[in-house]
Amino acid sequence: MYRTGNYPLRNADLIDQKDRPVNDTPTRGVHRLAIILCCITVALLVAGALVTSNEAGDSVPDWPLSFGRWLIRSNNFIANVRYEYSHRFIAGVVGFTTLALAIWTYFAERRNWMRRLGLIAFAGVIAQAVIGGMRVWFPEYKALIAVPHALVAQSFFAVAVSIVVFTSRSWWSPRQIKSDDKSLPLRTLTGVTVLAVLIQLVLGAGFRHQAFGIAPHIAGAVIVTALIATTVITVLRRHRRDGYLARPAKFAIALLIIQLGLGIGAYLARLASAGDPQPLEPMISLTVAHLVVGAMTLAMMVTLMLRSHQVLSPARQAVSEAIESRKVHSAASGSAV
Amino acid sequence: MLTLATVLIIVGCGKKKSTTGEKEPEGTKPAYASKGDEGTITGKISFDGAAPELKKIDMSQDANCAGSAGDKTADDLLVADGKLANVFVYIKGGPVDKFSFPTPSDPVVLDQQGCRYHPRVFGIQVNQPFKVTNSDNTTHNIHPSPKTNPEWNKMQAPGQPAIEEKFHRPETLIPVKCNQHPWMKASIGVLAHPYFAVSAKDGTYTIKNVPPGTYTLVFWHETKGEQTQQVTIAAKESKTQDITYKAAATAGATSMQIAPTLLLP
Repeated sequence: MYRTGNYPLRNADLIDQKDRPVNDTPTRGVHRLAIILCCITVALLVAGALVTSNEAGDSVPDWPLSFGRWLIRSNNFIANVRYEYSHRFIAGVVGFTTLALAIWTYFAERRNWMRRLGLIAFAGVIAQAVIGGMRVWFPEYKALIAVPHALVAQSFFAVAVSIVVFTSRSWWSPRQIKSDDKSLPLRTLTGVTVLAVLIQLVLGAGFRHQAFGIAPHIAGAVIVTALIATTVITVLRRHRRDGYLARPAKFAIALLIIQLGLGIGAYLARLASAGDPQPLEPMISLTVAHLVVGAMTLAMMVTLMLRSHQVLSPARQAVSEAIESRKVHSAASGSAV
Repeated sequence: MLTLATVLIIVGCGKKKSTTGEKEPEGTKPAYASKGDEGTITGKISFDGAAPELKKIDMSQDANCAGSAGDKTADDLLVADGKLANVFVYIKGGPVDKFSFPTPSDPVVLDQQGCRYHPRVFGIQVNQPFKVTNSDNTTHNIHPSPKTNPEWNKMQAPGQPAIEEKFHRPETLIPVKCNQHPWMKASIGVLAHPYFAVSAKDGTYTIKNVPPGTYTLVFWHETKGEQTQQVTIAAKESKTQDITYKAAATAGATSMQIAPTLLLP
């Protein structure tokens, strides 16, 4: 039988499927594909970071073809072309995977907003491809185009992570609804933190693509560090024993510490390599790792935000939900009798 | 929405760019008529400080480059016996701003050899033919990044005919890069007149046939930045203008700067 325990159901969509076992939800396949998409997207982020760090952005002057072909000749796959073409190839794989995910979601999901989310993901990947193509066609607007390219990349990753969260077994499991604190609501705090992390990733992209100096990115790092630390401390104080919220919070703070170290390391390496004739190690690896850990931090904060919105009620609603909870509980007890 | 906004901005900026990038009319400036009283500016460019150690270029990512003959050390800062090479020297202001000068028909050639640009720093006149050749057994892309001229990025495979281009507006200096081999860099000074030179390995330079007048003499180096001197050339005068670059000098702010600088168009 379906496991409801003594707790009210928070997820309204779950009620539509109350006759079905949780393990048999139609989103299991979608969930697995979404995880695959997230993994490929991380690979794509690495490839994109390698393009920027190796200054390979214009090494293939045409788009959507590469040197006039979809599959380039092996003798062209040399030097910086390796990074740019790999980036394009992985982007293609991400595009087709997203298309498959959107189609599968559309036909397998009962939640209309999930169907829309799948379509949004696909629209995002198309938009990203167009922006990437414009980056090749208009090299004179490198910074102007590269920064939105980075923004859409991270936003797309956040959407892919959201699909993983929404289709996960843990999302479907009934959970106790808790009241969010009125003074410092976690629902708001996590939302603000996700936005701040996203902006910070864009500021980092602006610095890498020389649209801005380093100052905005450093200021952003201070703000994001304060926000993540506040969020994590708040979560651990209020929900230490609830792994559903505490686990992503712990991961987020661990990633933040690593990220700060990588950021300082990448900056120092960049300073030290200013006179080098070409991008060299360790600057390349540190910069790439900094970008990827930034994306992982965003993923953790998105997870925490979504879960917070799922299991925490705004303070005002908490009273009415508590009453509703009692009604449901009484009804369940009555029917059992 | 973001894509649409980016497209609209690019299209908007692109229209402006294409207008300014087209060939400019010579305007109302009269053609310069020589009176035979032109002078010469010569000089030596010294480097104050220890000659920097030349950094090794890692060409291993392309076997054709790694296996090619030629130097594999960085050539952005060439100092020999306390003299600095590859300084672009030109005059501005004075009579050269009041006249137009004939455009040479012979092309300036930039060759790619040993996965390096030859020459590294050079000057060219507005609308003078510019040819890029590839003597290497590998593919390059040639990508000048001007601010006032139109930007272009072209691939050149081994054995392909020379790429022919022109720069329609004066601009000092345009960085050129091969994005496939990121160590390949060059700088082009585009001027409306022929009074420029590049310092040789012994630091010497000569600018000939300079119309008499008072000018700003500009010295530009890729990593050590720009210096200027005021110079007055009398009729048939030959003037020596030496200058010294300090080892600690830099070309100025970069993207590593702390203060934010918006470089968007």
